[in-house]
Amino acid sequence: MAKKMYKEPVRRRLKREIGAIKRDRLLYIMVIPGVIFFLLFRYVPMYGITIAFRDYNLFRGFSDAPFIGMKIFNRMFNTVAFNRAFVNTIIISLSKLAWGFPAPIILSLMLNEVGHMKLKKAVQTSLLLPHFMSWVVIGGVLYMILSPNSGIIRDIAELFGKGESVVNVMGDKRYFRTFLVVSEIWKGMGYGTIVYLAAIAGIDQELYEAARCDGASKPAQIWHVTLASIRPMIVLMLILRVGHILGAGFEQIFVLSNPLVVEVADIVDTYVYRIGVEQANYSLGTAAGLFKSVIGLIMVLGANYVAKKIDEDSGLI
Amino acid sequence: MKKRPAETTSMVINYAILVILAITTLYPFWHVLMYSVSDSRAAMSGGFFLWPRDFSIKAYQLLYRTRMIITSYGNTIQRTVLGTFLNLAFSASLAYPLSLKRFRLRGFLTMMIFFTMLFSGGMIPTFLLVRELRLIDTPWALILPTLVSPFNMFIMRNYFQSLPASLEESASLDGAKPLRILLSIILPLSLPVIAALGLFYGIFHWNAFFDGILYINDPQKQVLQVFLRNIITVTAIGSTTTIEDRALGAGLSEESMKMAAISASIVPIIIVYPWLQKHFVKGVLIGSIKG
Repeated sequence: MAKKMYKEPVRRRLKREIGAIKRDRLLYIMVIPGVIFFLLFRYVPMYGITIAFRDYNLFRGFSDAPFIGMKIFNRMFNTVAFNRAFVNTIIISLSKLAWGFPAPIILSLMLNEVGHMKLKKAVQTSLLLPHFMSWVVIGGVLYMILSPNSGIIRDIAELFGKGESVVNVMGDKRYFRTFLVVSEIWKGMGYGTIVYLAAIAGIDQELYEAARCDGASKPAQIWHVTLASIRPMIVLMLILRVGHILGAGFEQIFVLSNPLVVEVADIVDTYVYRIGVEQANYSLGTAAGLFKSVIGLIMVLGANYVAKKIDEDSGLI
Repeated sequence: MKKRPAETTSMVINYAILVILAITTLYPFWHVLMYSVSDSRAAMSGGFFLWPRDFSIKAYQLLYRTRMIITSYGNTIQRTVLGTFLNLAFSASLAYPLSLKRFRLRGFLTMMIFFTMLFSGGMIPTFLLVRELRLIDTPWALILPTLVSPFNMFIMRNYFQSLPASLEESASLDGAKPLRILLSIILPLSLPVIAALGLFYGIFHWNAFFDGILYINDPQKQVLQVFLRNIITVTAIGSTTTIEDRALGAGLSEESMKMAAISASIVPIIIVYPWLQKHFVKGVLIGSIKG
């Protein structure tokens, strides 16, 4: 640009700014309650993380507790319980990712092939129901179905004379993780399909016409048109999932876990609860929680970075 | 267009799988409901329940007599109604200023709030804070720590931003106060998003149980889901044992009591379900538009 831009004197600009803010002062007052909430209930606990580096206990106040560096972390990494919880968390959440992530996509593709609109709606509505139930309720319901003594599965097996061979999936170390993965998919699959079905509904029908004219078979259409079109949505969902990689499903495991399976089901979150709340070892509990938060942060930023590399338009941030 | 036989077969398989899946999500809840209104002895023989066996509401009567269910029901309704209202009020009071370009703190506050979605202090520091604030065993412990969900607040802000800016601007130039603009211009135009977020927050409150376990020790202040958990978990101590003792005394099985308790908590959801799921699906779609 050849023309010189008119530059406002600093003082006048400042005056104008202050005037604008003054005029909107009620807007600034309006956000105060919400900002106080975030400072108090989100940022103060972040400051509270420092107790992971302090020798804190109930009798000594927070600010009196001396800093002891990484001692608590060193101790934590040397305990069997924490390492077990960490390994379990990784195994459970990776299994959930591997099986649970594709499940709603496949289900959406299947639902999309249903031409009968009423049936499609009925199936969708049914599949969404468990999403609205708490894990407490789901736990009770699953017990009714799966209990090896009185569950329906046992009744079915008895019809075939195999009642005795029914295993207790809720109380057997060999099956418990599978049970966690399957029950989570069962609870969440209807919910998962909502965004994918909407994305599929938004696909231009002419793309299918064109594919058919080119002689594309049904599977080829699903692959090259449907899946290709909802790819950005899939990537976005994947980033959101990866960010929670260390959230292996706290409420679920908190409800379903029991002494028989604790060895394979104890995750970082349940460890934090047990150590930090039940045993009142606040520093150790906070340290374990912090470890989880930091990895979560790294994972979500990393996933976002990778997604941006692959596709400029995708990504969360 | 004529279909090839292979396509017909795969279509039939597809329909069959979907119908079976739908049954596996519906039947368990039906089973629980029917079991809860069956006579204990008849129900014990197991198998599928299409209808109640020897209809009986004894389990509910006993449950009602323990009084704890009424108390915990009341506590859950209280936190759901008051909590959801405050969730919406606080979310809106943040979302509206943040939706305005002329709001100077917009960038800073957006980053500040967004960061809490990525990183948090965790369970223990939050627990200690709630205790320091003397909120333990008060209803506020169940409401204040989750007052604003950043995710929901951003959904609301995005919706406000999608409204024509001229409406807000002209009202503002006419000298209308921000609160007035929010209440009489923005919110009436945002009913779909208010309904959706009200649902998200409401369902959260109805189903929440872990904060009850963390922050509530007094059984009189406890929420429904925790009461339910105590009944369901056989190893639970305290009030549960008395309920089970009474159940056995009245000729009721433990199972009947559990099923009645579960039913009591899911019936309200099932009653509003047709309405709920419709608005919920809409809400999820409003929220999934990237902002």
